[in-house]
Amino acid sequence: MNENLILRLTVEDLLIREAHLLDSWQLAEWLTLYTNDAHYYVPPNDVDGDTADPDTSLFYVMDDRKRMEERVVRLGKVGAHSEHPRSKVRHLVTNVQAARENDIVRARASFIVSRAKDITHDLFVGHYLYDLVERDGALKISKKTCVLDMEALRPHARISIIL
Amino acid sequence: MDARIISEPSQNKFLVPRKAFTDQAVFEREYAEIFNKCWLYLGHASELPEPGSFLTRKVARRPILFNRDRHGEFHALFNACPHRGAMVCRERHGKSPAFMCMYHGWTFGSDGHLMTLPGAAGYPKDFKTDPQKQMVHVPRLDRIGDFFFLNFSHDGEDLATYLADAGDYLNLVSEHSESGMAVTGGTQEYAIRGNWKLLAENSVDGYHAACTHSTYLEYLKNANGALGATPLEGGGIDLNNGHAVIEYSAPWGRPVASWVPLWGEEGKTEIDGIYGKLQKRLGEKRADRLAHKNRNMIIFPNLVVNDIMAITVRTFFPTAPDYLEVNAWSLAPVEESDWLRKYRLFNFTEFLGPGGFATPDDVEAIEKCQQGYAVGGDAKYNDISKGLAREGEPSFDDEMQMRAFWTEWDRRLSAAED
Ligand code: FES
Ligand SMILES: [Fe+2]
Repeated sequence: MNENLILRLTVEDLLIREAHLLDSWQLAEWLTLYTNDAHYYVPPNDVDGDTADPDTSLFYVMDDRKRMEERVVRLGKVGAHSEHPRSKVRHLVTNVQAARENDIVRARASFIVSRAKDITHDLFVGHYLYDLVERDGALKISKKTCVLDMEALRPHARISIIL
Repeated sequence: MDARIISEPSQNKFLVPRKAFTDQAVFEREYAEIFNKCWLYLGHASELPEPGSFLTRKVARRPILFNRDRHGEFHALFNACPHRGAMVCRERHGKSPAFMCMYHGWTFGSDGHLMTLPGAAGYPKDFKTDPQKQMVHVPRLDRIGDFFFLNFSHDGEDLATYLADAGDYLNLVSEHSESGMAVTGGTQEYAIRGNWKLLAENSVDGYHAACTHSTYLEYLKNANGALGATPLEGGGIDLNNGHAVIEYSAPWGRPVASWVPLWGEEGKTEIDGIYGKLQKRLGEKRADRLAHKNRNMIIFPNLVVNDIMAITVRTFFPTAPDYLEVNAWSLAPVEESDWLRKYRLFNFTEFLGPGGFATPDDVEAIEKCQQGYAVGGDAKYNDISKGLAREGEPSFDDEMQMRAFWTEWDRRLSAAED
């Protein structure tokens, strides 16, 4: 099979696995897909999310690995009121593209993430930008940016789940 | 109107009718008596950096074009064409000397005057200068420092009078910098399925932190070195006209200018330097207060300025009794170092906003209050009496701030009745 196709399938496999872990709230396992120096970003709606810099612009989420872990710890607690009881989450991930760039695999994908909880049912629509690196023979995520293709977080109010 | 507050301080009683959060007639009256008469926050001068800069945003449901003309003068125009009403400027921000309406092509200067119109031969000669054919200026626009406010009413008190003691607190925010404060770019734009006054209350509610934000407080304790030894303590201050603030010390670091161990020795040198300059510029006392105290302020009716581990400027307005829209910005000194700016933004997002470790739970509380009000029946009132029984100054986790807000709300709505 052509090398590019294999790469894409490998990346798709990883993204499908990530979606499954997030949908089933296996968040500790979700963390194992990431490198120890990973970052997870959600830029706001009024900047170019593909190029925005978290060091100079306000974001919705700008987690380093430490804060990703803390986010997971928090979401496991009853005191994380926004996600207690837990919402129903479904990640649809599609249109995956992947290309090798030296030691990094850069990937893009489109997403719709559905979150339903009592009176609310919201859809987050956008695209993912991934940086993936090889660690111990497997691909790990070193950076995930969730660019929302939306005008504002309305009526959503919150990104209390992991996109 | 039967949605009146019940205030009997000598009985330790302060009750707010739940109808105030749910009733369509109350909502209409709020627009007539509050949003159409009070000074409302529009934007910060740094958002319009040069002559020709413009931005569009809604203020209390109305589309506004906020811009600077070629001389640098600031204007606030109703963003609707005098011809047949189409929104003239459809971009969120940019730079332009003129604005062309997409419908029939009338074109307006940055001060709103009609410059050209296609098919002018079909109109009388002096048509173009007819005052009714120009874009309409918002009745009043004024500023305190770089904070711009507008007023949809032609008369009433001026901005400085309106702000009362809150004016000095806005100045204190500007004084973080010797060369000016600026919006850092990137707006948090969200909505909440709840009444707008729930967010006004929540923004200055010191009482809810321990319960609503238990996971955030636990996280802070875990985050190694993120906290100093300073205890969380302070008081509430009534700033008059419905404005109020809680001013308190807290264990977290402040970019201007309160160091915590997490920032290391190098960070200490930088923070010490900033503090030294503050002292020179503002004197011991004010510098100490600016650097070491946190402030959560509500300016009636819908501006919140929180000067905590970062500075957030947040405004919101309702589109229905059970729905509000929020815009929140981050404000920082222009001269801030890259390192400190990074830290500021990192900290802002940790606590604040839709993806933070705290705001989502505030949203949950607000939405659950709104849902709770549906019980109706005999459960008619909210209790806002905490601290009334206290001797001496109100504590930061009392409810004095909310009583100040509600008293003004009640005054404005009931004045319309008489
Ligand atoms: S509505 Fe604007 S030109 Fe006609
Ligand atoms: Fe809160």
